[in-house]
Amino acid sequence: MRSLHKNIIREITKTKSRFFSILAIIALSTGFFTGVKSSSPSMIATGCKYFQDQNLMDFRLLSTVGFDDDDIRAISELEPTADVMPGYFSDLIMTKDNIDTVIRVYSLPKKTDTNRKIINEPVIEEGRLPRNRGECAIESYYARITGTKPGDTIVFNDTVQNSPTTDIVKDLEYTITGIVSTPMYVTYQRGNTTLGDGTISFFMMIPSEEFVIERYTDVYVTTAASQSGLSPMENQYKSLIESQSKDYEALADERIRIFNDSTLKDAEKKLNDAKKEYNDKKKETLDKINSGEKKLHEGENTLSKKLAEGEKALADAEKKIRDGKEKLKKAEKEYSDGIEAAKKKIAEGEKKYNEGNTKYIKAKNQYDTQIAAAQKKLDDAQGEYNVQYTIFYGTTKPDAEMLLNLSNSGIKLAQELIAKLKKEIRSIEKQADIEIEAGSGLDELKDKLKKAEADLEDQKKKNQEAAKKLREGEKKLAQAKADLAKAKKEFQAKKAQGAKQLSDATIQLSSAKSQLDMGKLEYETAMTTGILKISSAQRDIDSAADEVKKGREELEKQKASGLNTIKISREKLLAGKVKAKAALDDAEKKLRDAEDKIDKLKNAKWTVSGRNDNPGYSGLEEDAQRVDNVATVFPVFFTLVAALVCLTSMSRMVEERRTEIGTLKALGYSNGAIVSKYLIYSSLASVIGSIIGTVLGIFTLPFIILDTYSIMYTLPKTVLVISWTSFAFSAGLGIACTSLVSLISCLSELKLQPAVLMRPKAPKPGKRILLESITFLWKHMNFTSKVTARNLFRYKARFLMTVIGVAGCTALIIGGLGLKDSMSVIADLQYKEITVFDQVYALSDPGTSKEMEYLMSQFHGEKSFRYTSLVSQNWTTVRYNENKSKIDLRYVIGEDQKSFRDIFTLRDRHTHEEIPLTEKGIVINERLSEVTGIGTGEMLNLEIDNKKYQARVTALTENYAGNYIYMTPEFFKDLTGKEPLYNLVYVTLEEDALENGSSIANEWMKKDEIITVSMLAEQLEAILSTLDSMNVIVLVLVFCAGLLAVIVLYNLTNINIAERVREIATIKVLGFYDLETANYIYRENIILSLTGALVGLPLGSVFITFILKSIQMDMVMFPNHITLTSYLAGFLLTLLFSFLVNFIMYFKIRKISMVESLKSIE
Amino acid sequence: MMKNFVEFNNVYKRYKMGDVTINAADGVNFSIDEGEFAVVVGLSGAGKTTVLNILGGIDSCDEGTIRVGGKDISRLSGKELAAYRRYDIGFVFQFYNLVPNLTAKENVELATQICKDHIDADTVLDSVGLSERKNNFPAQLSGGEQQRVSIARALAKKPKLLLCDEPTGALDYNTGKNILKLLQTRCTEDGMTVILITHNSAITPMANRVIRMRSGKVISNTINQNPLPIESIEW
Repeated sequence: MRSLHKNIIREITKTKSRFFSILAIIALSTGFFTGVKSSSPSMIATGCKYFQDQNLMDFRLLSTVGFDDDDIRAISELEPTADVMPGYFSDLIMTKDNIDTVIRVYSLPKKTDTNRKIINEPVIEEGRLPRNRGECAIESYYARITGTKPGDTIVFNDTVQNSPTTDIVKDLEYTITGIVSTPMYVTYQRGNTTLGDGTISFFMMIPSEEFVIERYTDVYVTTAASQSGLSPMENQYKSLIESQSKDYEALADERIRIFNDSTLKDAEKKLNDAKKEYNDKKKETLDKINSGEKKLHEGENTLSKKLAEGEKALADAEKKIRDGKEKLKKAEKEYSDGIEAAKKKIAEGEKKYNEGNTKYIKAKNQYDTQIAAAQKKLDDAQGEYNVQYTIFYGTTKPDAEMLLNLSNSGIKLAQELIAKLKKEIRSIEKQADIEIEAGSGLDELKDKLKKAEADLEDQKKKNQEAAKKLREGEKKLAQAKADLAKAKKEFQAKKAQGAKQLSDATIQLSSAKSQLDMGKLEYETAMTTGILKISSAQRDIDSAADEVKKGREELEKQKASGLNTIKISREKLLAGKVKAKAALDDAEKKLRDAEDKIDKLKNAKWTVSGRNDNPGYSGLEEDAQRVDNVATVFPVFFTLVAALVCLTSMSRMVEERRTEIGTLKALGYSNGAIVSKYLIYSSLASVIGSIIGTVLGIFTLPFIILDTYSIMYTLPKTVLVISWTSFAFSAGLGIACTSLVSLISCLSELKLQPAVLMRPKAPKPGKRILLESITFLWKHMNFTSKVTARNLFRYKARFLMTVIGVAGCTALIIGGLGLKDSMSVIADLQYKEITVFDQVYALSDPGTSKEMEYLMSQFHGEKSFRYTSLVSQNWTTVRYNENKSKIDLRYVIGEDQKSFRDIFTLRDRHTHEEIPLTEKGIVINERLSEVTGIGTGEMLNLEIDNKKYQARVTALTENYAGNYIYMTPEFFKDLTGKEPLYNLVYVTLEEDALENGSSIANEWMKKDEIITVSMLAEQLEAILSTLDSMNVIVLVLVFCAGLLAVIVLYNLTNINIAERVREIATIKVLGFYDLETANYIYRENIILSLTGALVGLPLGSVFITFILKSIQMDMVMFPNHITLTSYLAGFLLTLLFSFLVNFIMYFKIRKISMVESLKSIE
Repeated sequence: MMKNFVEFNNVYKRYKMGDVTINAADGVNFSIDEGEFAVVVGLSGAGKTTVLNILGGIDSCDEGTIRVGGKDISRLSGKELAAYRRYDIGFVFQFYNLVPNLTAKENVELATQICKDHIDADTVLDSVGLSERKNNFPAQLSGGEQQRVSIARALAKKPKLLLCDEPTGALDYNTGKNILKLLQTRCTEDGMTVILITHNSAITPMANRVIRMRSGKVISNTINQNPLPIESIEW
């Protein structure tokens, strides 16, 4: 080995840190550049490979009226066509946990021919593809975020846009058999739909047999463009596709003509029928409404009539009461009169009675005296009689009677004996005739009879005597008796006379009494009847009053109920009207739909879209371009720093090797040979550095960056493509730069004579600096500060290198953090200042302002809603750049301007001044203006429902997420000639309702009119999740920044130490403590770091602006917003890195031997 | 005046160069009294610089003891050594070792700033005859002037011991003489203990004490009763 080479190797081993400094900065610069630069092609390569592997279609044909087999045949016969796969798709709705999800259902791609590849072949990530009825596969992105697994089911709502789901697919329920991804969708964007709020949540695939649609909805075509293996991102492919698309468009026109001839007439007839039906229905409905109104009117009349009647009845009753009251008064009078009369009568009666009574008592007394005298006479007569009687009956009569009786009985016995003897004589006489014997006994018996007759005679005498005696007694008694009878008769007369007199009195009395009684009775009667009458009258009045009261109540009740009925009827009528109106509107809408359909048929159109129209497809290329843009700023910056590092290191090195150079020169080495050492040294460092850097860079950065993007893209494993050109560029730049710097450093020395070179270089003279003229300040600085100050101004390259490097570090950190800040602030600005809402209710049936009246009244009635705004928000396509570019975005029309402004803020971004919406034109957001290049006052081309319009832009409004066109309903009508159809209701919740927002939404979801509700919270989550991925980028930037700062500061310190070893050793000898010694060096580092960090602050801001410009997307405006924290973090982290270098260097300084101070100057 | 102000007892200093061990100081024994002007003389590699370094607290010894003013400095820690250098030692370098970015005065202040008990920079510069050059940078000064600044810097700290490492080595004859004169004056007038190493034995007559070294050993330590003024020495 030649000694020169040995020298190089020794040089390197001896100055490891210097070599390392150059190597590291070159590694950092090339690594970063190549790494970032490789990310872009890697992204594209990954995408391209994916598209090729899955045989992504080149064209997708859509037709507003679908395709039939003839169409397919025609397409396949077209010259560029390689393969054609017809398919179906439809957007269906699934309601789960009250949340509606719009799903795009595709037919599963299948082979059109056994030896052909499937177009758009899905990648099976889990499970298997659906094969049988009722099976489906869903996309991986959705499966991942929702945790859906094979075996779960998807259940569609049974209707979609008022028609049964089963008109589209066979089943409502599908079991997931696999999780797939498709090359059709490379991002999370799922495209637009007319359903719900216009967002498709995810797609799924079912076998095409599951579709029951008559005509194919889309056709996928591959052409030679992709089949020949052309990279789809290259211009050759693009131009080929462009020319091919014209062929398909020409075919489309032809097929549409054929279609129109056959189909349109039928549809028009149908429309006319529908129109007729509508008109009939309209008439019918109007009639119904009229009759209802009439009925209501009648009802009202009846009610008032009835009420009047009731009033009259009441009045009558009241009159009755009045009469009753009068009657009562009369009765009362009558009563009192009667009582009065009766009382009089009673008084009279009592008087009469009393008179009678007196008379009676007099009579009675008279009677009693007369009777008593008569009684005495009677009693005397009775006594006489009684004596006579007793004598007669006690003595006379019994004696007489006894004699009489004795004589009577003697008579009788004698009569009987005579009778008996006579009888016996006659019997014996009779017998003597017969018997003459018994004549003896007859004579005896005739004797006896003579004796008995004598006896009888005696007796008869006696009897006469007694009878005579008795007659005498009887005569006496009769005398007494006659006397008594006379007395009796007298008494009787007298008694009768008294009794008669008494009875007369009694009669008189009783008559008086009866008169009195009658009076009393009359009185009582009068009283009773009076009271009865009064009470009855009172009762009558009471009952009448009661009745009136009741009647009044009843009347009121009736009135109320009548009014209520009327009210209800009126409400019913109103509701009926509204309903009828709604029905009519519905019918009208249907009619309109039908008209639209006809329009559609009339305007039947095929859309030929290339891959670029796949959601997110063009984004991939754009994003790759963005990454590439970001990469371009770095080499400039890093190369500058590398050059400065190299310059300071190499010039220092050449300076150190001055004697050696002189010696070599003296020994006769050529300049080239001498320079070669330094060239080799520096280029070796840069070559090794480039290689190490590149290897590290390309194996980390593309993966990190793609990983970050993988949040947005569903791409397979990264295909690493190394950007060799970038490597060559970056490494070449580094090597060239270091070599050039070394060369320049050497050449200035080589110009000198060897003798001069071999003498120690006169130390660079100390120089006074500007600061010294400020004596006051200078005086108060200690020597370390003075040395530092002078040093700082002495080595300008080092100053620059360090300041730029450190500033770069700060800027990078601020850039990284600020990037995240700017992105996170989007959410805040967008959803707390620009569009302030919590929920968006998508209406199942968009309608005109009038049609929405009833629904909106319900919205306004909801207490939990603070603001509600009915808007018409639909997709439109804006073409710009002479129709070469297009962008899909939404136009927003607020039904009511005031409530619209409650939710949507249109304002100038800088002044925050409100922007008015006028009938003169549209307001678009700033980003849209930037993208399209259409400014205020210019015309914007937009396409609504396949019709092209031009609208004047009146102002630009602040908006961050998404692009929007705002206009008034009036302007829309002027523009399109149609009423806007409102389809969304934006809602801001009351503060206290925020917590149960979802339950409120669920409640509303039960209404038929509401199809989906989207919550702001969900949108925010999506944004924030992408922000998380930023952390890696931030980390990479901070890491590189740290590396940069460390390398630069390490290099600076290294040079400083090497250059000032003597100084350091000397001050050590002077008795400086270690820390004081270190400080001697650090002061410079600290000041440079501080300066660098300070310079880095504005630089960071500039850097952010640049990055944001490079990465901004069409639909997002990144506000340039860096928080104070980020600035502070950038500043402090930089100082931390500086401290780190100082800390490492401390040991190096401590290791410096004081013996160095004794060495001679080389 | 203290006897045996500086005392070396069996001091060894070894350097390992690969397999070979070199004894830079191989059992050095000597002593110097306070206020003496001592010259250590020897050829290159005799170990005189090693001795000076050890004495100045710049280097450490492997064995033996060194006493300065009764204090053993051979066992001091790094920090204690720094303090020792700061307060006890004044060092004059062969190549002056001025900080190029500081003016003459500032270079002196480099020393005074770290030493509470110091001589004012202006005074000390005046005393070394540099009143007019105070505000010049080292590069604007001649070698002799630079060495004066260096001496002024050493003296400003009021050290107990002034160590001079070949102070005239990089100077021309006359300038060297002037410097030696300055040093001698410091010794005789201020009573400063000066230890000067040199390979030039011609100047030994100006010293109170001459220590000769060879191969890391002291070969003689003689007292010169009548040191000559430098002006009378020629070489």
